[in-house]
Amino acid sequence: MAVGSRVLEAAGLARPGRLARLREWWEQEHVFGYGLILPALLLIVCLVAYPFGMSVYFSLSDYWVGSPGRFVGLGNFRNIIGNEIFQRTVYNSFVFTSIAVAFKTVLGIWLAMLLFRNFRFKRLIRGAVLLPWVIPTALSTLAWWWMFDSLYSVVNWTAIHLGIMSPPGPNWLGMTNYAMTAVIAVNVWRGLPFFAIIVLAGLVSIPREYYEAAQVDGAGSWGRFRHVTLPLLRPVLAVVILFSTIFTFADFNIVRVLTRGGPVNTTHLFATLAYQVGLDGGNLGQGAAISLFLFPMLAAIVFVQLRYIRRE
Amino acid sequence: MRATSRREFMRAASGATVGMASWLALGKAPAFAQKRELTFLSWNHFVPASDDELRKQAEAFGKLANCEVRVDTIAHLQLPAKRAAEAQSQSGHDLMLTGSADPFLFEHNLADVGDLIGELGKQYGGWYPFAKESCETASGWKAIPWFWISFPATYNETHFMKAGLQTPKTWAELLHHGKILKKQGNPVGIAISHCADANSTFWSILWCYGGKVLEADGKTPAITSDRTAQVIEWYKELYRDAMEPEVLSWDDASNNRCILAGKCSWIHNPISPYNLALAKKMPIVDEINHHNSPGGPAGIHSAPPINSVAIWKFSKNVQLAKDFLKFLFQKENYDAWIVASNAFNHPPLKNLADHPIWARNPKFAMLPKEAEYAHERGWPAKPSAAIQLVQVNYVLPDMVAKAVNGMPTKRAMAWAEDQIKLAVQGKLREAGA
Repeated sequence: MAVGSRVLEAAGLARPGRLARLREWWEQEHVFGYGLILPALLLIVCLVAYPFGMSVYFSLSDYWVGSPGRFVGLGNFRNIIGNEIFQRTVYNSFVFTSIAVAFKTVLGIWLAMLLFRNFRFKRLIRGAVLLPWVIPTALSTLAWWWMFDSLYSVVNWTAIHLGIMSPPGPNWLGMTNYAMTAVIAVNVWRGLPFFAIIVLAGLVSIPREYYEAAQVDGAGSWGRFRHVTLPLLRPVLAVVILFSTIFTFADFNIVRVLTRGGPVNTTHLFATLAYQVGLDGGNLGQGAAISLFLFPMLAAIVFVQLRYIRRE
Repeated sequence: MRATSRREFMRAASGATVGMASWLALGKAPAFAQKRELTFLSWNHFVPASDDELRKQAEAFGKLANCEVRVDTIAHLQLPAKRAAEAQSQSGHDLMLTGSADPFLFEHNLADVGDLIGELGKQYGGWYPFAKESCETASGWKAIPWFWISFPATYNETHFMKAGLQTPKTWAELLHHGKILKKQGNPVGIAISHCADANSTFWSILWCYGGKVLEADGKTPAITSDRTAQVIEWYKELYRDAMEPEVLSWDDASNNRCILAGKCSWIHNPISPYNLALAKKMPIVDEINHHNSPGGPAGIHSAPPINSVAIWKFSKNVQLAKDFLKFLFQKENYDAWIVASNAFNHPPLKNLADHPIWARNPKFAMLPKEAEYAHERGWPAKPSAAIQLVQVNYVLPDMVAKAVNGMPTKRAMAWAEDQIKLAVQGKLREAGA
């Protein structure tokens, strides 16, 4: 506890100097505590709150590159909602996110169960599984783009030589459904390790006794999975799915590199369309408005999932 | 001690911020030399030797005018953001590479260069018609056309010889030839996708058939017309009988790969595939040749990339910048620069186009003529933010893609018209006003 100056005076000691008093002030719990939060708070204000505020302001103005905007209210939003390209983007985003997250969940649990077993080079392989998640997406997506190239597709070449496809094989990035499949496949490939590793952590924390008890009760492997593993994984799963949904919804790199939103805007996501309109096209106001559409949607998803987690 | 006034502080602080920003962006410390300094922001040229020559000339000019000339080059995709930032902060370089709608978007931020245009035009036999379309705004000339990049037809001579065909003079002939060539296993390659080439080629064909996207007023959509319908029908037939579905997924390099792989017989592109084959000593280089961009019922028109240089109004060296540009346009300098770029940089001035580098190589001989057909995107309307939005949203190639995928032509046109209307509307007032 800090000693007040009066006590010191009473004890016949000299009054502390300015520095000492400053230190005394600083060491009070409520000052020191806030002092520690301050750097983080500053970072959040500068890098998150300020840009967010700016984009809200941009979205309400007809702000063009090179010419400061006038306030136009909800004009941008009205313009966007009526646009077929934007409507298509909303549809794409939901299809993309729901399918990709579903695949990542199922495959992620499966992969985690495999990694949970004891096998040779366990550590090495567990590490290697993380690779797709660690490599910069723009780079790994370039490799995928080359694999889906219309002229030199490795995927088609292999499948044709294995007799699975008839030449020339599908035009991956040029046909609506194939392009969406390609984009989802790359997203699943990239996001899977994140899922698997976190679910693996969840698996490790399940006490062995439950499995032994279930076995004694006569549960088979499916029964053990269904009644022991899955319920105990639920909180972990809910958090991973929440994170993954946010990441997937806001994906940018994969679409930008693979298809640039094509064919005919059937793979555009919010982020890629916002970039195209705002930065390529110079219409910052509309670009900001498009990217802000993400916000209420993600907020709704987060709200529902957090409630679910809390109830658990 | 005198207290610093708020204004002084702001000036020093903003100077420091901009200085720091450009320092970070360019990776080198700003030079606060005593000498006058002239700065030029350009792109990393596709032919690096061209930038080396530019820097050499900048140094030579610096010696003549007793100043320091700094040429900064950055990736072309980063230029728009940098340009916007300099306009916003009213500080940065003196000169700046511009293109497409830039002189119009930044009209009120750029210095008038009409005097220089007049002088250079008189000296070198006049500017090609596209110069006016791409740099003269309502308030005067706001940029100097610097160079354009020819966008001719590149074809495989062997494929054409095997089929017993001459090079096509019109798009209709190309369709006819393409059907034969595809049967031979050598399809035509015109991108119908989200890439710059798809835009360039569509504009060319649309103009050749007499179509337009906007009326000359720049506000009234004009895409719905019999002429556009004709163009879409042409594309549909070409797609079905002379091309392969891969064109729906192409990027800007795909057609280059297709012709270099010996598969495609004909593409619409700058001369880069030929130059690449030459540089890499690929055997196919002997089979590749060029001919002029085809024409149509309304004549020959094409939409090559046109690059210009502008001077910011906020520059303290406007006159010096003009002198520098004049220096770059001196015949011996411009000629050396053409040579350094290996014929890639085409002059916008008629007399400078007489350079032997084109006449000497039969595969290049027809290139300078392409300048006569060139227009800036948007023509007959002036370039504008709306046109830029139509471009970056790939509205025109998407209209064609919808049609070749089975959407009735009328509906595809109506869809494009909606998008064009929105682009014009999205621009609620004149840029820079």
